[in-house]
Amino acid sequence: MSKDKSPGDDCGFRLTRRNLLLGAAAGTLGTALAYNPAAAATPSPATVSPENEIVDLSGEHAFYGSAEQAGIMTPQQRYALYMTFDLTSNNRSDLQLLLARWSGAIAQLMKGQTIGQVEPERVGGVGADTGEALNLGPASLTVTVGLGPRVFTDTYGLASKRPPRLRNLKQLPSDALQPELSGGDLSLQACADDPQVTYHAIRDLARIAKDIGAAATRWAVLGFGRASAGKGQVTPRNLLGFRDGTRNIKSADDFNRFVWIKEGPSWQRHGSYQVVRKIQMHIENWDTDRVSDQNDIFGRHKVSGAPLTGHQEFDTPDFHKRDSAGNLVIPPTAHIRLAAHENNGGLKILRRSYNYTDGINRFGLLDAGLLFICYQNDPAHFETLQTRLGASDRLNEYIAHIGSAVFFVPPAPQPGHYIGEQLFT
Amino acid sequence: MHRTDSLRVHAIVAGLTALMMAAPAISVAASPQTSATAPVKNGASQVRITLTGGREGQSCALDHASAKAGPVTFTVTNKTATAITEIELQSDNRILGEKENLAPGLPPVSFTLTLAGGDYQIYCPGAKHEMLAFKVTGKAAPQASGSTAAILADGTREYAKYVDGVVDAMVTAVGRLKTDIDADNLAQAKVDYPLARPFYERIESDVDGFVLPGHKATDNAGNLDYLIDMRASNLDPKVGWHGFHAIERDLFQNGKITPETKKLAAELQENVDRLDKLAKTLHYRPEDLANGAADLLEEVQTTKVTGEEEAYSHYDLVDFAGNVEGAEQAFAFLEPGLKRIDPALTQRVKQQFAKVDAMLDGYRDPKEPGGFKRYTAEIKAADAARLSRGIQALQEPLSKIAEKVATAGRS
Repeated sequence: MSKDKSPGDDCGFRLTRRNLLLGAAAGTLGTALAYNPAAAATPSPATVSPENEIVDLSGEHAFYGSAEQAGIMTPQQRYALYMTFDLTSNNRSDLQLLLARWSGAIAQLMKGQTIGQVEPERVGGVGADTGEALNLGPASLTVTVGLGPRVFTDTYGLASKRPPRLRNLKQLPSDALQPELSGGDLSLQACADDPQVTYHAIRDLARIAKDIGAAATRWAVLGFGRASAGKGQVTPRNLLGFRDGTRNIKSADDFNRFVWIKEGPSWQRHGSYQVVRKIQMHIENWDTDRVSDQNDIFGRHKVSGAPLTGHQEFDTPDFHKRDSAGNLVIPPTAHIRLAAHENNGGLKILRRSYNYTDGINRFGLLDAGLLFICYQNDPAHFETLQTRLGASDRLNEYIAHIGSAVFFVPPAPQPGHYIGEQLFT
Repeated sequence: MHRTDSLRVHAIVAGLTALMMAAPAISVAASPQTSATAPVKNGASQVRITLTGGREGQSCALDHASAKAGPVTFTVTNKTATAITEIELQSDNRILGEKENLAPGLPPVSFTLTLAGGDYQIYCPGAKHEMLAFKVTGKAAPQASGSTAAILADGTREYAKYVDGVVDAMVTAVGRLKTDIDADNLAQAKVDYPLARPFYERIESDVDGFVLPGHKATDNAGNLDYLIDMRASNLDPKVGWHGFHAIERDLFQNGKITPETKKLAAELQENVDRLDKLAKTLHYRPEDLANGAADLLEEVQTTKVTGEEEAYSHYDLVDFAGNVEGAEQAFAFLEPGLKRIDPALTQRVKQQFAKVDAMLDGYRDPKEPGGFKRYTAEIKAADAARLSRGIQALQEPLSKIAEKVATAGRS
């Protein structure tokens, strides 16, 4: 949730009657809303975490603000639809128009409102809003807009405005990138607690892009399950069955240090760089691997999430500990060892990932994996971590990075303004 | 600079006496602002329209609710209204002028209309009060022959002639195909098949509703479109296969002309002749042209991009170009009227047609009888998404035309 709310705008997280009723129906669960790490640390397979199960579809986040866009620090919602676009017009004014129309529309959508008439009063009219999210509520929707490297070129008179660290990622070890699943000039990350709300948002925003003639759809991934934890959230699991995001960035200090851009002109500050990777998982192979090997690959226990050197999920891994035979308990090629900030000069990135599936592929295999989305104040941070992981992670046997893109995510606009407006002045 | 900054719309409003007899169906809110007459600057009355949003809902406000007869410039500023993206000036629900793509943060945009004395409405879809009254005082303009409705009506009559011409050409081209088949000349029939195809694709949206006398609307045996153009993918087993694509199968898949092929060709000729007679009786409203163009683009998406239309001959791109040409012609006949109502939309659609035409040019091949490359599996695998996206970019703005011309075209 954006911390800065504009006065007079009815936004922010609100308690509604529906919400209160939900809490009452949940009975004692309502009292357990405060996060209790001790309780979460010793889960048994039968435990269902209460705060994980209460979904408040009347939850609402602010679009306008004076700091970062919603959808980065916002408590991670359950579903996502992520889409990138190619700019199809070389007119600067079309890009402005698109960002302004998107901003106004996103403000409506995040309030759970339509972006125009669903059933036009006039005979012969097409709907301005496609209607499939009517009465579904805001469902904590956030739509986060990213600007790709090609936006900041002479084509749009923006070459001099390029955020200093925005560039295409270099080729990284084990990259198996497919052009049709990579890149893009603009990105939209829609997250909500109802998948249909995310779908409707992106679909209708894509229509605006086509109507203006400014952009065409490029690639998209539907995330059906949250696969990273934010502050106060129980750590969810990826499709390999392991908890993902145990050591994710959660504190305001870490956000300031690793996520937000703090220097440069005001249109950069509170911005961030979004790196997206579509990571395919070789599900069938994974499922037939012995779990002790899976644990070694991650460096954690599958059920508890505890590091192999500890007992509880949030125990700090001991990367030096050796067993009686003298072998490292967390193997040298374990995922958590290679990714740990202790082993990367203190480096951390914010992960905000989702599990995805595209059904069954042409080889008859389950086509699924992780839509990995991360935020950092320098894309080089991702490169540093992925360079080590791509080269040595034993998990590479079971995954492939098939899609990739990088975007600058500008700060939120103030009411009466649009995302990126200051770039054009 | 905002793209539409410098655009100016000039329209003479006609038929006011007729207009004022019918009251608008939607209740019109009186503008809360002063009813003082708008000041005149640079020869035009100046009216500001301000859009704001907030807790109580979105609003659309005029600084002056009346103006003297003559040129009136409306300048629209969207301050904070996220739910309002367009405004229109109407008279009896007819659109006289409008601005689209309004959003907070964009610079003000304006449009100028020459208005005769009478009652008008500012329509702000999405606002708490969607209709604001606007009064023009002074003389009514003389009945103008060049009204938008009259121009649109001229366009529909010209379009009807275009359709007649296309159907006439189809009758001739099908005649050639039939002659080849009757003469057992397979090679020439395979050349004349793609040459006969594009005509139907240009106008199919105008003629796909014909049912032969004595048949129910649900009976494909009497559905002229079914009998002429049905594909293998949509066959009705009760009626069997007729028309172009059954002949296509014989020529390109089976590679031989049989007595059955000759029967199919004779029947096709007969049905095309029927169509020719029916087409001459058709009259079109402006929205028929707009909806027809949109339907042709739907055809491109569903049957040409997929390669379903010409499953055996692979002349899908010939049909693709035929659909696009038909849509572009329909648009061209609306353009003189449409650009008075919505010059920005007219321009957007024109640009997208130009992009699609340029895209299709990349597939031209003078060595092929239809003038376009065969839509091979390789081309389809590599380019289908690109072709589809080009059409998508045209479909969205084009779909907005029908309601504009429908409401402006009534006389």
